[in-house]
Amino acid sequence: MIYLDNAATTQPSRALLDIYQRLESDFFANVNSNHQAGRSAEKYLLKARTIILEALTVDASHRAIFVSSATEANNLALKGFALKHQNRGKHIIISNIEHPSVYESVIQLRDQFGFEVTVLHVNHKGQVRPEDVRAALKKTTIIVSIMAVNNEVGSLNPIKEIAAIVHRHSKAVLHVDTTQAIGKISLPYQDIDMFCISGHKINALKGSGALIFKKTIDFLPLLSGGNQEFGFRSSTVSVALAYTLAIATKEAIRDQQKVTTHVASLSSYVRSYFAKQDNIVINSPDSSSPYIFNFSLTDKKASVVVEALSNEGIMISSVSACHQKLATSSYVVKALGRSEELANNTLRISFDKMTKLEDIQAFIEAYEAVIARIRT
Amino acid sequence: MTYERIMVRFGELSTKGRNKMDFVKLLATNIRRKLGGTFLDFQIETRFDHIYILVNDNDPYAMISELQEVSGINSLTLVTRQEKNIEIIKKIAIEMVKDKAVNTFKVRSKRSDKTFPIVSDEINRTVAKEILRNTSLRVDVVKPDITVGIEVRHEGAYLFLETFKGAGGYPLGIGGRILMMMSGGIDSPVAAYLLMKRGVLVECIHFASPPYTSSAVIDKVSDLLKNLCYYQDTIRLHIVPFTKLQEAIYDNVDSSYAITVMRRMMYRISEKIANIRKCQAIANGESIGQVASQTLRSMRVINEVTNMPVIRPLVTYDKNDIIKIAKKIKTYDISIRPYEDCCTIFKPQNPTTKPNFNSTLWLEEKLDFESLVLEAVNGTKSVIISANSEDL
Repeated sequence: MIYLDNAATTQPSRALLDIYQRLESDFFANVNSNHQAGRSAEKYLLKARTIILEALTVDASHRAIFVSSATEANNLALKGFALKHQNRGKHIIISNIEHPSVYESVIQLRDQFGFEVTVLHVNHKGQVRPEDVRAALKKTTIIVSIMAVNNEVGSLNPIKEIAAIVHRHSKAVLHVDTTQAIGKISLPYQDIDMFCISGHKINALKGSGALIFKKTIDFLPLLSGGNQEFGFRSSTVSVALAYTLAIATKEAIRDQQKVTTHVASLSSYVRSYFAKQDNIVINSPDSSSPYIFNFSLTDKKASVVVEALSNEGIMISSVSACHQKLATSSYVVKALGRSEELANNTLRISFDKMTKLEDIQAFIEAYEAVIARIRT
Repeated sequence: MTYERIMVRFGELSTKGRNKMDFVKLLATNIRRKLGGTFLDFQIETRFDHIYILVNDNDPYAMISELQEVSGINSLTLVTRQEKNIEIIKKIAIEMVKDKAVNTFKVRSKRSDKTFPIVSDEINRTVAKEILRNTSLRVDVVKPDITVGIEVRHEGAYLFLETFKGAGGYPLGIGGRILMMMSGGIDSPVAAYLLMKRGVLVECIHFASPPYTSSAVIDKVSDLLKNLCYYQDTIRLHIVPFTKLQEAIYDNVDSSYAITVMRRMMYRISEKIANIRKCQAIANGESIGQVASQTLRSMRVINEVTNMPVIRPLVTYDKNDIIKIAKKIKTYDISIRPYEDCCTIFKPQNPTTKPNFNSTLWLEEKLDFESLVLEAVNGTKSVIISANSEDL
């Protein structure tokens, strides 16, 4: 199998699976239990927290809590913070290409809790303009939420500039969905008030994730119960998931430069091939994340291409993996100014450290054969 | 009180005259196959009017609940067979009712063996009297809590209390074997179910056009058939590789006629598979006017390629009625899974509802369809689906 759908999820590394299994069998005790087994397990949990914060160099300023996914992290960051601090103001700013876990959370705050939401439109490169953020800020703004890397097209936002503007001109906190950025793109983590890690996007396990936030920040918990995770997220924590997430984060940050150089070479190979092709439109802007490459077909059906490649053992994605079964169009590609037809017909290939040049060559060869063969 | 056998009564069969023994044998085979999957060590006695199953060490209630899924059975009764002796009958009847937590009863007897000296009315009174004398039960002939059934037959006297309803219909296989065109939509599983209920053994044919159709459609069809295995133990599914023909049609045939020609190809292939499999007819889920290819005019032009009977169990059904049945047989939720099947790919903007016969022939001449049809038939893969078969 040639797997080119790493923005949807990555293959868990063998080493992490081994660690997971060992921890889950040897340190299975509840970290809240007051016995030796519980305390031994807790050590790994504390270690996991430290490893993550140190890897991201935010150990002095931030806290990390373990959650089940980036979706949960985004929900807690947005709803938990907004509901806790709504007395300071009820205005939130987001962009129009945010992941549904951000977008829908904010829509819920608007429709159910009376918040006011400003949705900033990205430019044709899929980027939020810092001056638009400046202009949208109000006295009542409490959260600005802008993603670092878009999951469909890979466009990058100028997080450093946005952070500076938000902090200079308002009391709002900056939340950044960093799901597709951790271990891939350099970010000024110290300047970001709240951000997240999704384990399965960095070769760790599904079900692992973290929300990282400034020590001064607190939330209304979305899960009430035994007050685990500083009281912000009740639920018995999985030490094994937390620890494997920490190791994956550490390794991803450690290898970031090396892997990104490798992936960038794959990405430019792909881009230069597709730049020469007719009947496609490249959606990923030039300056985007090398891990994601997105384009639209003008005269073939994307879902048929995905199926044909999948029958030959090559896995790529059309629109977004979470909802591709419903043939909806991509709001992200539309936000870049593309037509409904193009937004309906997108393909995404996404890489990770395991992707080899041979994989890309095999993909291109199969793609050419499929395009030559299929009707529609 | 233990009952050693289950009496199987058949309903509509009784009208079938001299072929009846064949029907009874077929039903007995179906019963053996159904029970054989779960139970060991039981015997089946086949008689002209009934089938008896000797329960031995098995749980009779578990057997009855399996048998309620076998079509051709009208009712099921747990019985004990005793000597044709009124004293013994009285004794057993008391044993049957004495521990029941009820207040009223009645006795209903039937004497098929006219050599037995006591008429049924008298059996009723004698046994009832005995029960009244030995228990605290009272007689209620209008709405009794329990009814003691007694049937005096040639081979012995049968006594019973409880009767369970069967599935009705005809024994599966009695109507012959049919090849059902199965797309994965809502209609075809319902049509297949109606045929099975009528005693027809159903095999299915599915046209797969990868990559235009997702491989998930095959999983969907197999899941649909697994649900139908409730009514027919195993179902043979023929998967036809249809891509090349679809592409040839797309390349050569005017798009308004694409569906007409495609359906004709499907019938041609189905007929050949049906002949190989000794199926007597083709069936599908069409109903008049539902889509362009299902107008009477379309049906005529499409149907022209085969002499084989084409059975359309849903031909006059409204969509809502079809959906109601689909929900009842639990295929609806599977059918609405959103994958493209072979009918929705290549969908032309304006398919003709009034295909012209000569135009169709003229268009078909442009493709070398006979060799493509043969290639599809030869490439067809068959699998057998049962309720617990693994995914394909």
